[in-house]
Amino acid sequence: MLSRRSFLLLSGALITTSSWAALSQQKTGETLYASAYSLDKNTHFFGLFNDEGTILWTAPLPDRAHAPVVHPNQSIIGIVGRRPGFFMDFFDVSSSQRIKRIEPSKDHHFYGHALFSADGTQLITQENYYPTGEGRIFIRDWPSGNILQSFNSNGIGPHESVFLNDQVLIIANGGLMTHPREDRDILNLDTMQPNVTYLSLKDGRILNQASHRDELHQLSIRHLDVNPKGTVALGFQYQGDIWDQVPLVALSRLEHPELDYLPMPEDIRIRFKQYCGSVCFDKSGDILAISTPRGGLVAYWHVDTKTFLGVENCRDVCGLVATSNAHEFLLTSGTGAQLKSNPVQNISKMVKNHTNIQWDNHFRHINI
Amino acid sequence: MKHLSKLMAFTMSTITPLLASAGTWEGPLTGITSQIVTQGYQAYSASSKSLQDLSSALCASPSAQTLEAAKTAFKINAQDWQQVQWLNFGPVTYFMRYYAFEYWPDKKGVTQRQLRALAQGDPSIMDAPKFWTSASIAVRGLTAIESLLYHPDFTPVQSTSHCLLLEKITAHHAKSADAVFKQWQEGKAEDWVFDEEGMGFDPEKVALEQFLQQWLEHMSAVKDAKLETPIGYNGRENLKLAEFYRSNLSLKAIQKNVQTYREIYHTGSPSLFDLAKQSDANLAEQLEQQLTENTKLALQLPDDFFHGNYTKEQRFDLAQPLVKSISNSQSYLSSLVTKLGFQIGFNSRDGD
Repeated sequence: MLSRRSFLLLSGALITTSSWAALSQQKTGETLYASAYSLDKNTHFFGLFNDEGTILWTAPLPDRAHAPVVHPNQSIIGIVGRRPGFFMDFFDVSSSQRIKRIEPSKDHHFYGHALFSADGTQLITQENYYPTGEGRIFIRDWPSGNILQSFNSNGIGPHESVFLNDQVLIIANGGLMTHPREDRDILNLDTMQPNVTYLSLKDGRILNQASHRDELHQLSIRHLDVNPKGTVALGFQYQGDIWDQVPLVALSRLEHPELDYLPMPEDIRIRFKQYCGSVCFDKSGDILAISTPRGGLVAYWHVDTKTFLGVENCRDVCGLVATSNAHEFLLTSGTGAQLKSNPVQNISKMVKNHTNIQWDNHFRHINI
Repeated sequence: MKHLSKLMAFTMSTITPLLASAGTWEGPLTGITSQIVTQGYQAYSASSKSLQDLSSALCASPSAQTLEAAKTAFKINAQDWQQVQWLNFGPVTYFMRYYAFEYWPDKKGVTQRQLRALAQGDPSIMDAPKFWTSASIAVRGLTAIESLLYHPDFTPVQSTSHCLLLEKITAHHAKSADAVFKQWQEGKAEDWVFDEEGMGFDPEKVALEQFLQQWLEHMSAVKDAKLETPIGYNGRENLKLAEFYRSNLSLKAIQKNVQTYREIYHTGSPSLFDLAKQSDANLAEQLEQQLTENTKLALQLPDDFFHGNYTKEQRFDLAQPLVKSISNSQSYLSSLVTKLGFQIGFNSRDGD
């Protein structure tokens, strides 16, 4: 139970949080990125680094985390514990303090991803109600973290979600039923039915839902991104046999009931080892990048023409964000690399190689 | 970034591996490539050819004796495969050869189904130029050959079509095995790593890193898929899921695998063991002892471990020491590769 004194202190901390803009005026205006990382099996951090790859701020974490969440206005970043996640820690970058820990409600856990609403007043979390496996979307008040509303995600395993607009949330329901007492064991391998759901945040209605044909039901829809034209890119993780020839990337749109699988050369598809890590459009929205740590590469497509552009080789790469430049991405890897890659100009440049750091699965670009 | 830099002047402690100079990894990499992989594929290629020849002899003169000779050739070839099975890297990754050499575990009986379809169809399609490059991996290698020789649905002594199928598959299998051997003979491991943009890309180190990652993953496969899963260590017992169950090679395969692990550790000049001793003598020795223990425990399991009349609990008790020993080996090897300065599988082996 939070004491009255603790509550007042915490409230005060939240009220006085600086904005990104205010923070920016005090500084050079350089680009920032937020990522979790580990030094070894037992030493985990959350950090901010700049465009030169230099780590500027860091905070210890109790465990390995998954994806950061960035407040749109206040200089607040959060990090979500990896599945089954039982913490979401928020830090005020201006004071370097952890200001809040949100924990899931009873019988729920997080999936490793969350997002703020555009105005920063609400936090959206994807959660597993593990007694039944039902996927749930919680709309939480920020900064209290109190649950304002909840919706059925209309699937099992809502791993990541993105906004199509203020009113529509696109959810990657991965389809995997798990229970924290059984670690990450998949309990519904034979019956899993992943889907992508376009959910109205006004009333929880399904505006569109797309899934695979039956024989691809083990193709977990795990990560996604959306571009300014409303095209949604989906990255899959296949739970069937390693040798099955299955599509690993698709496009989707609100008005299309079917998934549109993207082509890639078979020798590259094999290198994916049935596993996509992060999914990311570039700043222009024309180029799609998908990372595969198992394959040690990032693959690129021109979205409108569905043309496969090529790959950037990078061992254990998973983190992927669009930089402020069109067609350019920043990549991070479990071997410590931070690499800029532009598949249109065919340019890649090592930003920094932190040989003693293991960058975790996902990172985020902070738009100051 | 005045404010931020005031907040945190972050300096990361630098962990400099003891062994970091260029050429450090040449000894184990060259040794393992030459003595374990290339020589392993040479033996595998030769026994694949022998299997092809004895399958042809069986079809030319079908009898219990020629069938037995083909079965013996199969067993030798399948054991040679166990020497190189740990490495899904390099030439074997072309045309899905790795999975074609052994389509296992075949939980849905795909191999038998597809073999039946092939046996009933026009055999001339198997002579088409691109048939084998597009054929299902389920009918291209040892799993299919084992079915044809041991599964009751197939009778190569009595059935011409079954024997013809055996001839065609063993011929393709021998050709694939030889192709992999020749590619290893003519190339080197560094040819198979992908150049990365950036500072200090060392192809020898990256290639050895791939070897180590494959070795670690194979240890998991031996413990989980080969040992625990069929005996129902964590679920329902299904002994037919054991590797090469019909030909009664399941235990021999495990014994060969764990024996190979020790060879990997000690091959080359310097070997991984030599380098490990320089880095952390205690850990190097712990792994050495555990690898020796694996071999001892695997050899102590009764020959009829998978086929004998044991209860699930009896098999569990018999297997437990080896399961624990392999698990310890994984931990030691994992710690050791980190000590040696490799970063393996932070995201690729533990993502979401």
